[in-house]
Amino acid sequence: MNSKKIIGFYGYPPRAFTETIRCKYPFHEWIDLDVDLGSPESEILPDNYCRILRNIMDNAVFLKDRIDLIVTSTGSEKCDGGRFLSHLLSQIGFNVVDTRNDSFENTEFPALIDVPISKSSLPLDKKIELIMDTVLDDSSCEYEETQPTCGFWGVPPHDFELLKLFPDTAHVYGWTRCVEAERPADINLECYVDPGVPTVFFVQSFCAKSQLARWLAAKYGGLFVDVDGTIGMGTRAKIDAFLELNKAK
Amino acid sequence: MILADCGTSYTKILDLSDGKLSIVETRQVVKNENRTFDAATGHLGRLKSRLYKNELVCLAVGTLEITHDDNFCVVDIGGRDTKLVEFKNGKPLRLDWNMACGANTGFTLEIVGRYYDVDYSILKPVDEYIDVTCGVFGIERVFDAIISGVTEDIAIARFVHGVARNVHRVTDRKERFYLSGGLTENACFMNSILKYAEVVPLGRAVLLEGLKIAMQDQDVMKRFIMN
Repeated sequence: MNSKKIIGFYGYPPRAFTETIRCKYPFHEWIDLDVDLGSPESEILPDNYCRILRNIMDNAVFLKDRIDLIVTSTGSEKCDGGRFLSHLLSQIGFNVVDTRNDSFENTEFPALIDVPISKSSLPLDKKIELIMDTVLDDSSCEYEETQPTCGFWGVPPHDFELLKLFPDTAHVYGWTRCVEAERPADINLECYVDPGVPTVFFVQSFCAKSQLARWLAAKYGGLFVDVDGTIGMGTRAKIDAFLELNKAK
Repeated sequence: MILADCGTSYTKILDLSDGKLSIVETRQVVKNENRTFDAATGHLGRLKSRLYKNELVCLAVGTLEITHDDNFCVVDIGGRDTKLVEFKNGKPLRLDWNMACGANTGFTLEIVGRYYDVDYSILKPVDEYIDVTCGVFGIERVFDAIISGVTEDIAIARFVHGVARNVHRVTDRKERFYLSGGLTENACFMNSILKYAEVVPLGRAVLLEGLKIAMQDQDVMKRFIMN
């Protein structure tokens, strides 16, 4: 079993801060606690609660012996759940340091923001993996841009199988695009989609972003999809049908 | 070519050589391991055919084909699920597929009907309804009503009305919509739901009609060939 010491983090802490911590702990492994790592249920958070926040708690508790520090994200770039979670983690005994990453103006021209990975021709799950990698490291590659035949709006899902339903011509919108643009609390960019591009507005169940997703889906004629945990047959069929009936793949 | 809509309770089979539609209980299809189809939709469609087509796509395409209406809302009430497709100006506006709640599924009505040996074709609809927030809770309310002295027929008609009311709510209370599936043949249900909206029954073969159209599209056929 890997015994390397860990810095855990969630959300999108400011890069300047994570770089400082990396200098202080140069040999530690950084783990994004938002992601489904297959950790057992810690049974601390309610069952009917955001799956991503539950991942954070479950992963932290499971990896507790190896975690030296958790860098949290507690500003409007994350959510109130992230802020409360930070408090609980410190109560449990973790060494927690809080950050915020929302000290900038919302963009007035979201269409002009440079997001090459979001617009690339890579498979959608790969796009989102690469975008989330940019939380800690800049992307050094160049990407071939593709015309969007459809869009995925939202946060990285708990279940990446959902992303495999989309063609490589899907563009990324919402919070994930904001991450690539290094503007994780920019609500104007988060609410931007290309008009006319059939878009799936995805949220994890119980997430506060549900209100945005439902509103935007109605505004742009997209598909609102709410998933708790793993993707079921019904959701899979809805997305498949939406993409096919819109000739998106 | 033999097409099938393999639902939870019933399998609808269309033989394209003579256009004959037959309906058999799905448990008979499941029992017969050698029974397969050229193309299928429905819950068991993947297991029983080389070509499988998404139910929502079949429902959408079938409704467009039958109605020639590109502004529509259609609800398909299956044994264990409710599917909804809404189109505006020929484009999908809403797609929904509820697979987890018995408050508006055909199987719930079937259980009650079989238990009390009810003939829904002659059961008189009633204005009162049982609030069927959940299939099981709704059935409990039927028992409660009967215990309190209401006749079986009235208690069950109230239950049917409650389910019909739920189906109308699923449509966001549309004034007019199409209905697909076996419940279109349930007179008590149809008379109950007509209290709320103009409901145009499309019968039990809407998904098969959509599957037929999809199979005529060679590109679609290639895409859905299962290796």
